Amino acid sequence: MDQLLISIFLIITLLVILASGLWIGLTLLAVGLVSMEIFMGKPAGDSMALTVWGSLSSWTLTALPLFIWMGEILFRGRMSEDLFRGLAPWLNRLPGRLLHVNILGSAIFAAVSGSSAATCATVGKMTIPELRKRGYPEKLTIGTLAGAATLGFLIPPSIIMIVYGVASNVSIAQLFIGGILPGMLLALLFMGYVIIWSLINREQIPAAETGLSLWQKLYAARNLIPLVLLILLVLGSIYTGFATATEAAALGVVGALLISWLQKTLSWSSFVEGIMAGARLYCMIALILAGSSFLTLAMGFIGLPRNVATWIGALGLSPLELIVALTLFYLVLGCFLDGISMVVLTMTVVLPTIQQAGIDLLWFGIFIVLVVEMAQITPPVGFNLFVLQGMTKHQIGFIARTAFPLFLIMIGTVLLIYFIPEIVTYLPGQMKGRG
Amino acid sequence: MRNFLARLYDFFGGLAALFLLATLIIILINILGRQFGFFLRGADAYAGYSIAAVAFLALASTLKRGEHIRVTLIFQRLQSKSRQFLQIWCFAAGSLLCAYFSYFIWKMVWFSYQFHDISQGQDATPLWIPQTFMAMGLTILTVALTEGLVMSFRGTSDVAEKNETLSFVE
Repeated sequence: MDQLLISIFLIITLLVILASGLWIGLTLLAVGLVSMEIFMGKPAGDSMALTVWGSLSSWTLTALPLFIWMGEILFRGRMSEDLFRGLAPWLNRLPGRLLHVNILGSAIFAAVSGSSAATCATVGKMTIPELRKRGYPEKLTIGTLAGAATLGFLIPPSIIMIVYGVASNVSIAQLFIGGILPGMLLALLFMGYVIIWSLINREQIPAAETGLSLWQKLYAARNLIPLVLLILLVLGSIYTGFATATEAAALGVVGALLISWLQKTLSWSSFVEGIMAGARLYCMIALILAGSSFLTLAMGFIGLPRNVATWIGALGLSPLELIVALTLFYLVLGCFLDGISMVVLTMTVVLPTIQQAGIDLLWFGIFIVLVVEMAQITPPVGFNLFVLQGMTKHQIGFIARTAFPLFLIMIGTVLLIYFIPEIVTYLPGQMKGRG
Repeated sequence: MRNFLARLYDFFGGLAALFLLATLIIILINILGRQFGFFLRGADAYAGYSIAAVAFLALASTLKRGEHIRVTLIFQRLQSKSRQFLQIWCFAAGSLLCAYFSYFIWKMVWFSYQFHDISQGQDATPLWIPQTFMAMGLTILTVALTEGLVMSFRGTSDVAEKNETLSFVE
């Protein structure tokens, strides 16, 4: 049969089975199986077992469960309170006042968390009730949190970056370091938006609270010390080349355990809960990775990635047009799929095209993270929306609307890193050690 | 019976957690070794086997808590009858697929054992040992999916009704 027909048939099969509600990882396995058995006439079972075993017992993946576990420990600790108490006194004077706690809090927590939904839940646990109590406009409280929490992906450590790094063979440590500047830039742009909004709508922002003296502010900032030390430990050890991403994750777990022990939030039951939840979360991702590794093999046999690359190459798109087209593609996909599935599903097909167009794979990784971030806040499927729905009881649609301005800022950031790629590539170029 | 199964899933979930702890310890020993000049042979490989065990052993308990991701857009819009139908399809397809997969993994384990397949790395581990955990995990998942199938025929499925709201992966 014609290769084009096979490809179209497989894509439709994939979408139908996904929509039927079969677990995503199993769907990928099933489609891989169908394509191997029917179109290639190859006995698929043995290669399925070997491929999945090979991809899931790989050393590069070990960073993933450890960072997930670290996030689970911190979530059960006192981080939300610490962030709020440490940051709030400093932001009282800035137009928009405590709304900035959402943004800065997310940016800081993102530097110890690999996940955007965990960032959202941890920061929001404290800021949502506190900001409501003080009468901040609900729309901004929720919108800035939904948007800023996506920094959980862009600011390292990052689950998406690990998944992308494994799929594309780009160094995870380099991806991590490459995310730092874009992440800080995005946080600043979010804060700029809040400042401008608050200058225009002065009457909607509650008055400043009685100011603290500098000494009192510094004393309040002591709450941030454990977090800052943890960030230095994890990112510092990667940046200086002392540790690989995996080793940094292990150090992070130990650091997080130590902090919660010192803060007396670590009990036997919270320890057990944390490690069990971490194992399950990793298992959930691993099932998707298992499915995608086998589907990737099957697709390779059929030659789908090569064909798509040739086909797109024949269109003669400029790199900018290609990036615009991919952004649109991922935005549509992101309305229905979660970020990890989105990345693993498309990488096989997209990477050859990207390489052919001469786009740097490290840069492209950061680009992917940005579009996945946007997917977190696009309805109907967006994990930050789910988390916030659970926390605030607002409708998904309302939450998505409040986050829309931040969504636009993210699109602007994609353009910015396109025209100034050094934002991504400068820091990784400065890294010491093995990278 | 259900009680027994629930305990079985939790037992393997707990085993997965132990392997996560083991991964941490292996990597820490590796870091310490570099600082103090001793060397744990094949640490990379052991960490890899450990996380593979985590990934597979926790499959069933993750399923039971509704934490495996699926697209629920259509699910949520269906009436109870057609919803039950779709639920049956998911569990039937899932358990068939996993049974098939488990069979081939056990076969792989058997071959590794028969032909003394040994890791290429410095650890030189006989591969059937770590692979057995993968096979066990998928077998338990098959059991859990089959139980889900039986329950959704009775219309009492308790799996996966919870949406992904509080999954912190993303």
